[in-house]
Amino acid sequence: MSAVVSPIREPLVTGGKSYHQITEDICSPTERAPGKAWILGFMVASGLLAFGVFSILWTIYFGIGTWNLNRTIGWGWDITNFVWWVGIGHAGTLISAILLLFRQKWRTGVNRAAEAMTIFAVICAALFPGIHVGRIWVVFYFFPVPNTRGPLWVNFNSPLLWDLFAISTYFTVSLLFWYTGLVPDFATVRDRAKGFRKKIYNILSFGWTGSAKHWQRWESLSLILAGLATPLVLSVHTIVSFDFATSVIPGWHTTIFPPYFVAGAIFSGFAMVQTLMIITRKVLNLQDYITISHIESMNKVILLTGTMVGVAYLTELFIAWYSGYIYEQFAFYNRALGIYWWSYFAMMACNVLSPQVFWSKKIRRSITWTFVMSIFVNIGMWFERFVIIATTLARDYLPSSWSYYTPTWVEVGIYLGTFGIFFTFYLLFTRVAPVVAIAEIKSILKAGGDQYLEKHVEEAKKPENLEEVSH
Amino acid sequence: MSNTNNEVLFGLYNDEVELMSAVKEAKDQHLDIMDVYTPFPVHGLDPILGLSESRLHIAGFIYGMIGTTIAFGFMTWVFTRDWPIIFGGKPYFSVPSFIPITFELTVLFACIGMVVTFYTICGMGPGVNNEVLDERITDDKFCIAFATDGMGDDEIEKLKGFFQSTGADEVNSKSLN
Amino acid sequence: MNQFTFESKEKQIFLGAIGLGVLCLILSFFMDSTPYHSRFWSNFLHNTVYFTGIGFLAIFILSAKLLAYSGWHTSFKRIWEAFSMFLIVGLVLMLVIIAGIFGHWHHLYHWADPEAVAADPIMQGKAPFLNPMVYTIFTIAIVGIWYFFAKKIRSISIAEDNEGGVLNFSFNRKMKIWGAAFLPVGGFTSAAIVWLWVMSVDAHWYSTLFAWYSTASWLVGMLALTIILLIVFKSKGYFSMVSAEHLHDLGKYLFGFSIFWTYLWFSQYMLIWYANVGEETIYFQTRIQEFPVLFYGNLVINFVLPFFILMRNDTKRKTGTLMLTSIALLFGHWLDFFQMIKPGVLHTAMESAGEHAHGFTSGFTIPGLLELGTFIGFLGLFLYYTYTRLEKAALVPQNDPYLKESIHHHV
Repeated sequence: MSAVVSPIREPLVTGGKSYHQITEDICSPTERAPGKAWILGFMVASGLLAFGVFSILWTIYFGIGTWNLNRTIGWGWDITNFVWWVGIGHAGTLISAILLLFRQKWRTGVNRAAEAMTIFAVICAALFPGIHVGRIWVVFYFFPVPNTRGPLWVNFNSPLLWDLFAISTYFTVSLLFWYTGLVPDFATVRDRAKGFRKKIYNILSFGWTGSAKHWQRWESLSLILAGLATPLVLSVHTIVSFDFATSVIPGWHTTIFPPYFVAGAIFSGFAMVQTLMIITRKVLNLQDYITISHIESMNKVILLTGTMVGVAYLTELFIAWYSGYIYEQFAFYNRALGIYWWSYFAMMACNVLSPQVFWSKKIRRSITWTFVMSIFVNIGMWFERFVIIATTLARDYLPSSWSYYTPTWVEVGIYLGTFGIFFTFYLLFTRVAPVVAIAEIKSILKAGGDQYLEKHVEEAKKPENLEEVSH
Repeated sequence: MSNTNNEVLFGLYNDEVELMSAVKEAKDQHLDIMDVYTPFPVHGLDPILGLSESRLHIAGFIYGMIGTTIAFGFMTWVFTRDWPIIFGGKPYFSVPSFIPITFELTVLFACIGMVVTFYTICGMGPGVNNEVLDERITDDKFCIAFATDGMGDDEIEKLKGFFQSTGADEVNSKSLN
Repeated sequence: MNQFTFESKEKQIFLGAIGLGVLCLILSFFMDSTPYHSRFWSNFLHNTVYFTGIGFLAIFILSAKLLAYSGWHTSFKRIWEAFSMFLIVGLVLMLVIIAGIFGHWHHLYHWADPEAVAADPIMQGKAPFLNPMVYTIFTIAIVGIWYFFAKKIRSISIAEDNEGGVLNFSFNRKMKIWGAAFLPVGGFTSAAIVWLWVMSVDAHWYSTLFAWYSTASWLVGMLALTIILLIVFKSKGYFSMVSAEHLHDLGKYLFGFSIFWTYLWFSQYMLIWYANVGEETIYFQTRIQEFPVLFYGNLVINFVLPFFILMRNDTKRKTGTLMLTSIALLFGHWLDFFQMIKPGVLHTAMESAGEHAHGFTSGFTIPGLLELGTFIGFLGLFLYYTYTRLEKAALVPQNDPYLKESIHHHV
């Protein structure tokens, strides 16, 4: 049963854990009373949430006029935030699905929390189209249901409608995927709990027993869901990019948008995972499961996707010149050197230049650097969407309608409110569910646990094993 | 699982390697294993136990195809039969712009269908109470269980002997409702 | 068997294929209904681009695998190392095209015709990039750099065989550094190369996605050829440690990247179709109306076929279905490049000669026998070179730290 593992690999679980020790380490945070840091965090998060709710109610009561959108700039912070949150929501499913298919075992340490993050981020994102329509009480017009408009249907040719389908599918599938993974771990918590807690976890764990046949089906289900989620992740941000790229607005209509948006989404998603994981592993004492090499692996993904995004930026710039189309050329000139030059500068600095520090192994493995860089990347990716949306709209074909846009307190409030939603949910999640996938960590222990890897190295040193492969 | 057995004899092992060799041994002795319980999916166990491959993917494919048909068919019907409107100079039947929604619904149907199927065939769901043989099975114990209903003492002794010879850490019996 | 031998029978087969290719090229030079011997030149360009790209993708994927701590591919990585060596041959072949640009022997590129550029403000705008000097310098420098990296990584890998040990990771570390350096270099330069070699055939048209799309096409072609060779080698007793598990994984790649290619195809097509800007839609308009077999055939062979055949698990493990799909895809992506290059060449050549393309043009509307013969010839050349490279090193990288993992690879 012990898998053959190359002695070159670094351990994925450190501290010489036994199976029981793993259960103990990961379940115990849900069994303790919350610490001071958690309570403080929760108060801040729910405060932000309350302010967000207030801003949203303000918007609904007084109307979209409370935002600073104008004739030319019809999309401002709202859609920027929407795309930003959707992007962040990509890492979870990516870690679980694509890395599962590519058999990157290090995913087991971070997939649970990343998936949770995905779901919360998508909730934050889905909020924006809802309130952006202004009259939220007729929001059911989004859906293809027979309604008071008579036999009129929604416009299936519209990318905005595709987006609705994409986001809701993505949310549902991520939720199912995440929950199916959680069921065996909830059973573990159930079997340790007493009294009322046991009853709750009994409901949550769906009557899981750990039967071999169930495990077999469970693995098969996870694999197929992963297989389906992989193109789904790609499709979601692709469709978000279609919102822009199907138009004929210079700077928006460019064919590289789909894969470039996806790369950007992975990039920002991983950055957010880093931000959360670095705090979580410290607060919950999970350094043996989310090790420095996990952080390093994620930094490599950030470097890779950051560079891909960089290739796309330069491709766009080059092709804008190459096209010979003056409006396209102007759009990019305006992006880099126009009124919003500072946001373009922030985007380039944070997304393309700053991740290049990760070429250094020392920086990749430094917690402080990683934390700072993850914040940088998130800022950069916010600016990327802002550059695409506001900068482009601010300079229309008609110079007479050129304008400038700054958000009002209401727009800022809603944005802060989404942080409230996100962190409130995330903090609750760390209290009720195992933050690391217990069963999956156990299943890789013998291939990734440090005490077993040491044995592999010992094995490899034996003279008969040095000979073996040369035949 | 519609198991009418009440009496269960089970042994707990400490390690999946021991478990696997015990299962192999049980198969060699033609013992009728009721079930095996593990804290995590043990690779290589299915063929030894003789479990046939899961057919969930076939179900998933069918659900997906239903989704494809519904999505594509519905949009086609709306835009060519029920209320044809020209949007943005596109033809009524514009295949490229039907593809995104068709894809999304294919995935949605396949996923929901498979998850529901999975919980149904495993007899699981919110509020389902499947009795647990030992609470440490979801922690670090690997369990082989035999149904002992209507067995004579000598047969039960034989099973206990089997557990002992294969290195079980504990042997217990329990009656399930 | 650790030592590969290039049998004389195989040598004869490949030399025969090359001979057939040369014959077809000569015939297409003379039996050509288009001006400037465009059939000959476009065949030459098309095949050179396709096989050079396969060489590039081999080293690109090898670098990516090194960085991703991938272990399972180790037992057959020598094949990819050998593929990447073809880059030097590709460079030599491209020099012929370059010589043709300076000698005005062909009219593959409209921008290389000074008279046409003088009458065309758009091409004048692009002239700082689309000109013979940039074409030459970029081609030589970029393919040269690729070859340099490929050579470097391969030589470290071979040195590991002789000097390394199972617990000596220094070679692996060195390869990783070279691989890490190559990824961004390859990523940036391949885009420029695709623009110059392929996209500029339609000198007015542009698409930002085009470079990634063509690269995906190369990648599937490269994977298909890898699978074909592995199956052939296995039947001869080489690569005994490559099991059905490895083929299964390669099959998954073939399946996955075929879908990825389709995704890029759809993104590019859909956005251009939707926005309906005349300068862009003309590209697909031409293909749908005048080259319908290429346009739809491309999708059927490269998407429908692998999607339905490789969807099941067992077809990815069975030699027969895997071989069949791989052959279809190797041809399919060759066809993809055919449809990228041929329509543009035909139109600009005709226009420049004052003629108009109408109806069926042999060697352009669909690949004719001469095109297939040329394909076989270039394939023969590619394999001949690959085989000689394979002979130069042990097939099993015995000191690679991941080798044991690869041998015991189990899905």
